[in-house]
Amino acid sequence: MSYTLRGRLESRLAASLPPLFAGCALALAVRAWWPLELAALMIAVGLLLDGALYHRLLPYQPGWLALPLGVAELGLLMALVLALDIEAPLGPALGLFAGSWLVAQAFGHALFPLVHLSYGDDGGELGRGGPVGAAAVLVVLAAAGGVAWATQPPTVRLAAGVHEGPLVLDYSQKLVGDPGAVVRGGIIVTADDVVVRDVTVIATENGIEVVSAENVVLERVRVSGAVLDGIHVRRGSVTIRDCLIHSPADRYAQGIDISFSIDLAPSLVEGCEIVGGYEGIVTHSAQVEIRENRVRDTTLRGIAITEMSMGTAEENDVRNALGVGIYCGDYSHCLIERNSVSGTRPDLASSNGTRMGYGILATFGAEATLRENKLTANHRRTRAFAYARILRVG
Amino acid sequence: MSRRIAIVGGGLAGFVTYATLRHGGLTPAEIAVFGTNPDPAAVWRRRAAAIRQRRMRSESDGHCLPTTFPGLAVRAARKRRSIAPLIASVCDRYHPSVEEFLEHVGELRERFGWDESFHHARVARVRAVDGGFEVGRYGTFQHVMLALGHPGLQLPPDLEGDPRVVHAYEPHDYAGRIEVVGAGMGAATEWLNALAAGASVVSVRRREPERRPLNLPRPLFTRRGLAVFHASAPAQRTEFLRRWSAPSYPPGREWDEPLADAARAGRFRVSAHLNGADQVISATGFKRGFRHDPLLARLVDEHALETVEGWLVLTPDSDVPALTDEGRTLALAGAPAQWAFPAADTLVGAKYAARRFLRRVQGCRTR
Repeated sequence: MSYTLRGRLESRLAASLPPLFAGCALALAVRAWWPLELAALMIAVGLLLDGALYHRLLPYQPGWLALPLGVAELGLLMALVLALDIEAPLGPALGLFAGSWLVAQAFGHALFPLVHLSYGDDGGELGRGGPVGAAAVLVVLAAAGGVAWATQPPTVRLAAGVHEGPLVLDYSQKLVGDPGAVVRGGIIVTADDVVVRDVTVIATENGIEVVSAENVVLERVRVSGAVLDGIHVRRGSVTIRDCLIHSPADRYAQGIDISFSIDLAPSLVEGCEIVGGYEGIVTHSAQVEIRENRVRDTTLRGIAITEMSMGTAEENDVRNALGVGIYCGDYSHCLIERNSVSGTRPDLASSNGTRMGYGILATFGAEATLRENKLTANHRRTRAFAYARILRVG
Repeated sequence: MSRRIAIVGGGLAGFVTYATLRHGGLTPAEIAVFGTNPDPAAVWRRRAAAIRQRRMRSESDGHCLPTTFPGLAVRAARKRRSIAPLIASVCDRYHPSVEEFLEHVGELRERFGWDESFHHARVARVRAVDGGFEVGRYGTFQHVMLALGHPGLQLPPDLEGDPRVVHAYEPHDYAGRIEVVGAGMGAATEWLNALAAGASVVSVRRREPERRPLNLPRPLFTRRGLAVFHASAPAQRTEFLRRWSAPSYPPGREWDEPLADAARAGRFRVSAHLNGADQVISATGFKRGFRHDPLLARLVDEHALETVEGWLVLTPDSDVPALTDEGRTLALAGAPAQWAFPAADTLVGAKYAARRFLRRVQGCRTR
């Protein structure tokens, strides 16, 4: 086909409608915006390439060329998805792209020539259908954008100063602290899609408590004075980034505890600093990715993935733990890679042989896969106890 | 005759127009076709047989269906239960066989009820009258498509009267020493045919043929290339048509290897002049220009229609501007419609004219 520029754009837009509707349906089904973001990005990339590149370089486009062009578009799209931080899972995203490509081929080769007799003669232009198709795409995108905007959670600004807590966040919202905003008495999150950002919490029992809530984001929060947990998650999925948890008020207080969420979306703990406490980061029966955190001076374990959890500990820096640096226990499956564990001390006060200063330890049927960890000045390096296994890779 | 639409010419261009009109919802009762043979492929069949053509030059789109999809590749894939024709089509390598094409014409003839509309008649005159066009003595029609075909075989003047000469498109056998005049698709086919029959061949030509997959560069089959063509001044347009009507045949080993082998064996060579062979095959195509067609020549003279050199001036939609208005249409398909579509003498060109004719017929409120 020798497309005119208008023909390329009209064909592209009209063939984008089914994937766009599929993106809408998928967005509703998974309650996430990535399918629509991806569909919109696919359309934008396609139109850009049509206008800037294909029209100039391809006065005639044989049918077979659709395949290499499709692969090139996929590569560009993936780069943009990464650059724009669109959180699209790889499999479904590839499925959406492949489906869109197939629809475009079927439309271009079969449907358009059937419904518009002179489609080929007209260089891919669709007559009256062209502007209608383009308008339909714009309307769907505008409607989706409108819905996205209208359903954005409200942003609540927390002014500088001390606010008495506990604050209970029981509907979707963004709580953003101005510099100097402090909540005394903790924050309790019970609704999905809550964001807490730039807030300092002085805890009483737990610092921030997330209960039965999903897609919760805690960014740049600082917690001190916890008696139980700095951040306490039960039946929830959270993303915790760049937090600071320090100065616990009890010798048994923990930094971050994510538990009983194995059937929910995986949680992420990234870039946090945890100083002191009984356990730094601990999971019980949960799916968690723990990466690039700094944990030091804990008195039970630095990082613990236990009770049938599935987790990854990656590029963390665990220092001066008493007893155990990184722990994988109770039939959990752990991938422990590129961590630095140093200065783990034996717990001589304990008569427990598993607490004799192990950098990395697996117990009770757990399976830990270790790769490229740096173990320095620990009393003992690694060990598996009680039917646990340590696999070393690389 | 009470029908409103007439197609003058019962060959492939007329047949494509008929199929397109039927696809557009018109009934056989609304259309009259005037021709001299009820088989729309009769003339084409005879010429293809004369040059022993086995495969179409056109690709999957070279068919008589009103829509480009499903083309002959889809039909072949379905029949052979193989995706090979589809893959070949996507790679622009699918060339249906002549048998497949003729079978397909036969199927469409039956499907669209061609014979219900066909009238055995030779129309000598089409004249504009109030509310339409008088077509011979068969009545007045509101919309008329002239699908007259080529006006005759072209024979160079110096070959006329020579008893050794046969035109490529006339039935013939091969002598032992043959000269083939011309350098287009017909000539190339004849080189291979004569070599296969054991003859020695001299290709008599004044210039080297172009090698193109289709008659014209591909952008000229769509609006992309046509926009420039339609926007050009008459002098440029005639220059353009002359340049692109130079002989060409497709590239490919299937053409080159037999010629190279024969050249090595001393059985094939190129010459600028005739040199006393037993047989001269004139593969020089068809006469060009409306003056060679009596009906068109009379139409132009009677209505003082605008022409440029040998071409009748048409709108981009392939109709005659002076005789087409809101209530009536006079359009051309086939070779004489090159002013609107340079590849008008191809099946794609016939479809181009037919689709625009259908649009006019459908857009006319008093159809």
